[in-house]
Amino acid sequence: MRADVVVVGAGPAGLAAAVRLAEAGRQVRVIARGNGFTHWGAGAVDVLGRLGGERVERPLEAAARLPAEHPCRLAGEAALRDGLDWFLRFAAAAGLDHAGDPERNRDQVTALGTLRPTCLLPAPAAHPVAAGSGRVAVVNFEGFRDFSAALCAAGLRSAGVDAVAATAPLPAWDHARYFTAVELARAVDDDGFRRRLAPGLAQAAAGAAVAVVPAVLGVSTGHAAWADLERQAGMPLVEAATVPPSIPGLRLFAAYRARLDALGVRWQFGFPAVGVEWDGDRVTAVRSEGASRVLVTRCQEVVLASGGVAGHGIEANRDGTLAEVVAGLPVEGFPDRTAFVGDRFLGEHPLGAAGVRVDAELRPVHASGSPVHPNVRCVGGLLAGHDPTVEGSREGVALATATRVAELLAPAPTPVS
Amino acid sequence: VTPALETDVVVVGGGVTGVAVLRDLALRGVRAVLVERFDLGTGTSGRWHGLLHSGARYAVRDQESARECIEENTVLRRIAPHTIEDIGGLFVLLPGDDEDYAGRFVEGCKASGITTEELSAAEARRREPLLSPDVKLAFAVPDGGIDSWGLLRSMAADAQARGCRVLVRHPMVGVERDGDRITAVRVHDQVAGEDRLIGCQWVVNAAGAWAGEIGRMAGVPIRMIAGKGVMVVMASRYVRGVVNACRKPADGDIIVPQHEVAILGTTSVQVDSPDDIAVAPADVDRMVDMCAQMVPSIGSGRVLRAFAGSRPLYQPESADGGSGDGGDTREVSRTFTVLDHATRDGLGNMLSIVGGKLTTCRQMAEALVDRLAERMGVTEPCRTATEALPGADHGPHRVAAPLAGVERDVTYGELVCECELVTRGQVRAAIADGLTELEDLRRKLRLGYGPCQAAFCAWRAAGMVAEERDQGDHLAGLERFLEERWRGQQATTWGDQARQALLNHAIYRGIFDLRDAGRPDEAAAAGRAPTEPGEGDPTTRVGDELAGESNGRTSSKAGG
Repeated sequence: MRADVVVVGAGPAGLAAAVRLAEAGRQVRVIARGNGFTHWGAGAVDVLGRLGGERVERPLEAAARLPAEHPCRLAGEAALRDGLDWFLRFAAAAGLDHAGDPERNRDQVTALGTLRPTCLLPAPAAHPVAAGSGRVAVVNFEGFRDFSAALCAAGLRSAGVDAVAATAPLPAWDHARYFTAVELARAVDDDGFRRRLAPGLAQAAAGAAVAVVPAVLGVSTGHAAWADLERQAGMPLVEAATVPPSIPGLRLFAAYRARLDALGVRWQFGFPAVGVEWDGDRVTAVRSEGASRVLVTRCQEVVLASGGVAGHGIEANRDGTLAEVVAGLPVEGFPDRTAFVGDRFLGEHPLGAAGVRVDAELRPVHASGSPVHPNVRCVGGLLAGHDPTVEGSREGVALATATRVAELLAPAPTPVS
Repeated sequence: VTPALETDVVVVGGGVTGVAVLRDLALRGVRAVLVERFDLGTGTSGRWHGLLHSGARYAVRDQESARECIEENTVLRRIAPHTIEDIGGLFVLLPGDDEDYAGRFVEGCKASGITTEELSAAEARRREPLLSPDVKLAFAVPDGGIDSWGLLRSMAADAQARGCRVLVRHPMVGVERDGDRITAVRVHDQVAGEDRLIGCQWVVNAAGAWAGEIGRMAGVPIRMIAGKGVMVVMASRYVRGVVNACRKPADGDIIVPQHEVAILGTTSVQVDSPDDIAVAPADVDRMVDMCAQMVPSIGSGRVLRAFAGSRPLYQPESADGGSGDGGDTREVSRTFTVLDHATRDGLGNMLSIVGGKLTTCRQMAEALVDRLAERMGVTEPCRTATEALPGADHGPHRVAAPLAGVERDVTYGELVCECELVTRGQVRAAIADGLTELEDLRRKLRLGYGPCQAAFCAWRAAGMVAEERDQGDHLAGLERFLEERWRGQQATTWGDQARQALLNHAIYRGIFDLRDAGRPDEAAAAGRAPTEPGEGDPTTRVGDELAGESNGRTSSKAGG
């Protein structure tokens, strides 16, 4: 097998990089172990939510104050702006309108009733919920385990929001005894199901100015199911971010996948990249697991978007060392494993910021600063110098670095989709 | 101050020993109140590997202990089968192990009344397919698994049904004395935030590793040695029954399958305080590497967590020589001892029980209450060996039973915790019983024990608490639980577990935006000394005889 560029990984960075490279005319192949942080995230676009523990109000401005080795700085402000602009256009074209701009952060309602700072919000999560925005009904669907209206409402009340909890009955359906968020979201895709669902939802939220619901309002029809249900319920519906798998993330993943298919990008999913072949310092092929043998994909360029430790791009060893799993790139480890994590779970964990160090062109470097392979680039969570969870920077880093890589590997202006 | 409560006997300590004492008293018709600083089973009784001893671990050098174990093993199977997994055990001989030891082992078992069955290597591997191909020989013994929380709950429920009381979150803080007698025990009601007096005729100190602290409050010296044992929890069972190394007991020589996991044990290190339960990474590595000699796949397996417990080792005052500070501890008591402080210290109405192990908790209680009853003039004989505990009619616990129940009733949708098959109904009932701390729900229901380490069940359970109780800071409760679950994880976070930890962090800090508010945890609030990994001198061992042998010797703990 052969491709101009092999993209390893299908999380927020790998997907964006693959689409942008394909849009620029490169022949791309995606090799991915499985789903990434589209499915594990909050379903919004974080650029920079917190800095030094403090909430960031103006993410672009704050990003300029990040250390020079931070991936956002390496990619540059122009790439970050361009990446976000591109994302808004790409998502809107796929039926996933987003609200927001990189100049200021917004609040995303979570299932715990906290208001997390983020930059771009999908339309179903975008209606403002804040102290003074009137009565908010937090409504769960009967029997749905991954949301508690009581807990969410209690959290919102501590944030000063006038919130009450309620439950809406589900129409009779096939999964009455056991269902997940995905099954419920698929049911909501159905017009008839929504028609039967809407009256109970409206009744549960009666008297409120806005209803907060778990993020399960449709999965395969973009934001159409949410918009229709909102119209039928007669009030704004706000999807609260809840535990994985993220339904908004699944919508986005589906949009990326459709776009890649339309662009003729081949992908290999569920069979992880396990190594590379090289000639001198140039990587010539990516080796990946196949059903019964190792597959070899020859290529000119490799974009590693395989994630950090959480994404399985880096293995944390018992002796405190770290190993990059695809190309064996150098990663700075720790004296021993007790340094991997902090002593408070909700504090910070050094492992979360571990990654591959790169130069200004996102090429992995030796400790000396010289590139390891001239034709390997790293993007997203794999990069050293940032903790996407603690900073709330995951999608911003993904889009900025994917954009930068697309520029570097396809210097011609990238056409708008 | 007028005593808020009057009783005949105050039992201090809510571990298995204290609760067994309470039940024994209840069955003899004596009024009693048990006080515990945290919840039942939060000390050593909840921090051990879950081995129902056959006694075979003691058969070579401590046949008195071995006989106690096999007797109680038989008794517990009769009175508390629902807390027992009847899985048997093997002692396996590896290359390099002393074959003479095997011979002495078989003879010791025989002399102690423990049946053994010699198995060829092939037969041993047929029973335990993951055993190392290097195993040369094995002996089957009637070891088992026992759920100490189940045992505690059953004994406590029985005692309460018979009129005794259990006060958790009531640490003892002092005593009122009149001459040579204690007239009342002072406790701090942590919920109400105030001290209370419990007037009493007698006091039983069943605080296990903390017995010395209770002694100090009462003005009697009890010299306890804190013997820390580190255990490692693997993400699956690996073995069908208990697997022991057939050699002189040492670190990492036992694998106990328990519910959905396996527990590797253990170290034996003398530490300054029973509250030192920190786990050093080197201990974890040693457990894993040593146990992997018996079951090789453990070597590359997923470690869920590690924890330590404090053995309640008693140092008699009159130990013959060599019992100096931190030195030779070979004189440490190896079975249990009843201390009557009237004859020993001139304190007329207090008894202490020290040493022992979980398997013999009922026997310990019997010995203590026999002595106490004699002093009280109570003539009722002990009936704890014959009266079955509530729940006994369920028969032995079978690991597959909960899953079979979920499949039979099609209650997947009711599961709060998929790893441990905890249902909404169970959580709701526990909340209705007053358990609103997620940690207490965990101990009662095993919520959050599985491979995901509470990623999904923690906040589901927090949601259910919010649904049932309007009051309270639910997010703070969730944060407390998450931090408590995180304790000691530094030693076990690598590989898949590191990935899990970061994914969980991405949920709670990333998606939910919870941040470390620096709220003190329960232990800190109770003034427990902070401990750090690496504390405790690993060279200060608690006597060779006790290394490993004292594994199950985890008796009760409670608090003061």
